Amino acid sequence: MDSTLVRNNANQATTGSGARIGSYWLSGRRGRRVREALLAYVFLFPAFLIISIFGLFPLLFAAYESTLRGLNRIVGPYDGLGNYVRAIDNLTYVLAFWVAAACLFLAVRSVMTGSQTAREKGETFWSWSWPGVFIGLGIGVAVAYIFRLLPLMLDIPSQLRGAQNTGVRFRQLMFEAWLDGGVQQAFWGSLVLLVVGIALYLIIERAAGHTHHANYMGPFIAATVLLLVAASLGWLTWTEIQKAYAEALEAGEGLEIWSQIVTISAGFFLLLIAWWLWDGADEQLSDYAMVARLGAAAVLLVGGWVLIGELPRIIAQGDKEWWVGLQATVWYSVGTVPTQLAISLLLAALLFQDLRGKGFFRIVYFIPYVAPFVGTAAIFRILFSNRPNAPINSFIGAFGGSSLQWLNEPTGLFQLLLGNSVTLPTWAAGPSLALVVIMIYGVWTYIGFNTVVFMAGLGSIPRTVYEAAAIDGAGRWAQFRHVTLPLLSPTIYFLTLYSVIGTFKAFNHIFVLRTAAALGSTDTASVVIFQAFKRDTRFGYASALAILLLLIILILTYVNNRIASKRVFYG
Amino acid sequence: MASMTTTPTKPTSFSLSVGRGLAYLVLIVGAVVALTPFLYTVSVSLMNLTEATGGEFLPSTPHWENYARAWNDARFSLFFMNSVKLVIITLVGELAFCILAAYAFARMEFPGKTFLFSLLLATLMLPEAVTWVPNFITVSWLGRISPIPWINNWPALTIPFMAHAFGIFLLRQFFQQIPNELWDSAQIDGAGHLRYLMRIIVPLSKAPIMTLALFGFIGSWNALAWPILVTTTPEWRPISYGLLAFLDESGSQFHLQMAGSVITILPILVVYFFTQRTFLEGIASSGLKG
Repeated sequence: MDSTLVRNNANQATTGSGARIGSYWLSGRRGRRVREALLAYVFLFPAFLIISIFGLFPLLFAAYESTLRGLNRIVGPYDGLGNYVRAIDNLTYVLAFWVAAACLFLAVRSVMTGSQTAREKGETFWSWSWPGVFIGLGIGVAVAYIFRLLPLMLDIPSQLRGAQNTGVRFRQLMFEAWLDGGVQQAFWGSLVLLVVGIALYLIIERAAGHTHHANYMGPFIAATVLLLVAASLGWLTWTEIQKAYAEALEAGEGLEIWSQIVTISAGFFLLLIAWWLWDGADEQLSDYAMVARLGAAAVLLVGGWVLIGELPRIIAQGDKEWWVGLQATVWYSVGTVPTQLAISLLLAALLFQDLRGKGFFRIVYFIPYVAPFVGTAAIFRILFSNRPNAPINSFIGAFGGSSLQWLNEPTGLFQLLLGNSVTLPTWAAGPSLALVVIMIYGVWTYIGFNTVVFMAGLGSIPRTVYEAAAIDGAGRWAQFRHVTLPLLSPTIYFLTLYSVIGTFKAFNHIFVLRTAAALGSTDTASVVIFQAFKRDTRFGYASALAILLLLIILILTYVNNRIASKRVFYG
Repeated sequence: MASMTTTPTKPTSFSLSVGRGLAYLVLIVGAVVALTPFLYTVSVSLMNLTEATGGEFLPSTPHWENYARAWNDARFSLFFMNSVKLVIITLVGELAFCILAAYAFARMEFPGKTFLFSLLLATLMLPEAVTWVPNFITVSWLGRISPIPWINNWPALTIPFMAHAFGIFLLRQFFQQIPNELWDSAQIDGAGHLRYLMRIIVPLSKAPIMTLALFGFIGSWNALAWPILVTTTPEWRPISYGLLAFLDESGSQFHLQMAGSVITILPILVVYFFTQRTFLEGIASSGLKG
């Protein structure tokens, strides 16, 4: 960063001025670094203040809120995993158990990879564990401090109501909250741990001398925090299960939480093994691959059978609205993402030719994406209205079809196609026709965005590759299949991930396009969360649902990354 | 990946095995599908009530007065101005804070840089739905303790959106590409970081800053879920919410609803047409690197 000139100046300044501490910190090369760091923190402060309060803190806050019960109450009585149990019944325990296990696994892996890199570079590793563990524990206790202070702080406005001198009273109440025994304990505990950790860090850094050794504190901090999460989640699950059993015993009912945990875990485990076998088969010789594939299929069948036997019973016990919402989300995702990616890849490939007016087309395709969606959704409401003389219905009428209910139709698509002769089970009936209209809207909106990104991806493929392929006699289709697609795979991967996550987050247009007549068949996960919050004012429950949605998105991202690491070609 | 710039390359021999005519056909169908809803909207917005509900495709005589009626019935003079104010407040904060933070990440050295940056990227994963309940509580709490209320007021609608990972990331990518020599010569001329940022970096980064501003404009104009949560009175209600409320109130007065839609859509489209080149390039490059 520094220019050589500056560095020379700095060196001159440091020589002979080590005695006075003030000048040691504020002048010279070191002083320049300190001042730059301080200025950087000043630059970062406003952005990080806002992002911490409204972007990072909400995760902790939602986790906290999701353990509380009550209607229209911010700080309700503690309810453990109760909200989750209401949403997905006993699947909660399975999920909590596996999230804890995953945290444990990630903690171990973080340390293992760290030690491996250190060994390869021949650097010290384990001595970093001291500051790492202390700082990790410090962070954990700091979270406990927040959780203890939070309910007290949230209570202040209600105590302030009607008070005369609010400013003074507020400061007084804040101070009282901060002086609370538990809060103080956690605060000083966390401070001591952090200070000890930083002191150890400085000692080890000094001991390492001026040779630039990498800092391996990160893996240890991450591992400690993950272990703390795993431990508290494991403890929570354990106590909650005990409590559930005790309650069941009192009511004279039998409970099968443990057996359910075992069977469902086994089911998912078998599915994983099947995937692993199938995936490994690619690298094997043909005979073995055949056996591996057959084995995978068998394991898949058994695992699927176990899950099909167990899951619907649990789903029937959970919140029906939430399950319908998840189903709608999955339908929406499956229905829109491949369609919009395929269409926009086609459009981008066509536009990438030397065509007249390609700039014009690009601008036009992008309009639905930038146009405010309440406005465009209002258009779709009228286009797909259920009146017989609405545009789409009269279009169908012109071909002799009968008009449809569109946005007011709660019946599943496949059911509609089959007619009334057969009645499909709800899960097989497909997305409701109303949801299909929303899918059409989604595709219509996002094609432009995908096309623009695809065009940029196509532009980054070097011409020479095509020329080489042409010399080798590759036709245009072969060029597209064997040159364009592999070289475009990073873009395809990025857009897939972005769109899948986007569909799981989708809210706005779905909220505008939902009708009462569709009977909630269009309500995706986000809409269900919104209704639980706004309509039912169940703060804790909405938070629990949101955390579940976040978990789903995290799992999707992870799976996507795993697939991408194998299939994406970063030329 | 680094070479993925968006400079349009001249296609030479490469073209797909589709006839040129067929290609145009597909592209034109695509354009028609993209545009027809808008044209239909404009058409309906000029009809009278019987034509609008009768499924006509073109008005017999254009009823321009629909726009005035929709403007009054939907109280757009309030909501439109609200949105304009909210957009301006959000954009000022967003640009200032994101530029400063992006500069710190791109050009300055400080302890914890990698950690803070990964923390920033982690917020990209968080779905909006997770933030609704906590942020609503935070905002009402802040409103109770601060001199001005936050709920039903501009702070709740703007301050949470004044800094975000996407903006910082977008600008940082661009700031990093600016050659280091400029910083060296600026230092020799005695400029510090702040002056260098304001005099050199910002003027050089008009394109990404404009992209960010447009995204902020669209995001603020489109905001729906959050305004529904934090406004209970129309006083500060933005236009999207205003239009949605109007759609629900006005029954089957499609001509007025469509006039309202056009009024909502038009400002965005005007801004988009004037900035589309920068904007599309910005999306292409940010999208690829995101």
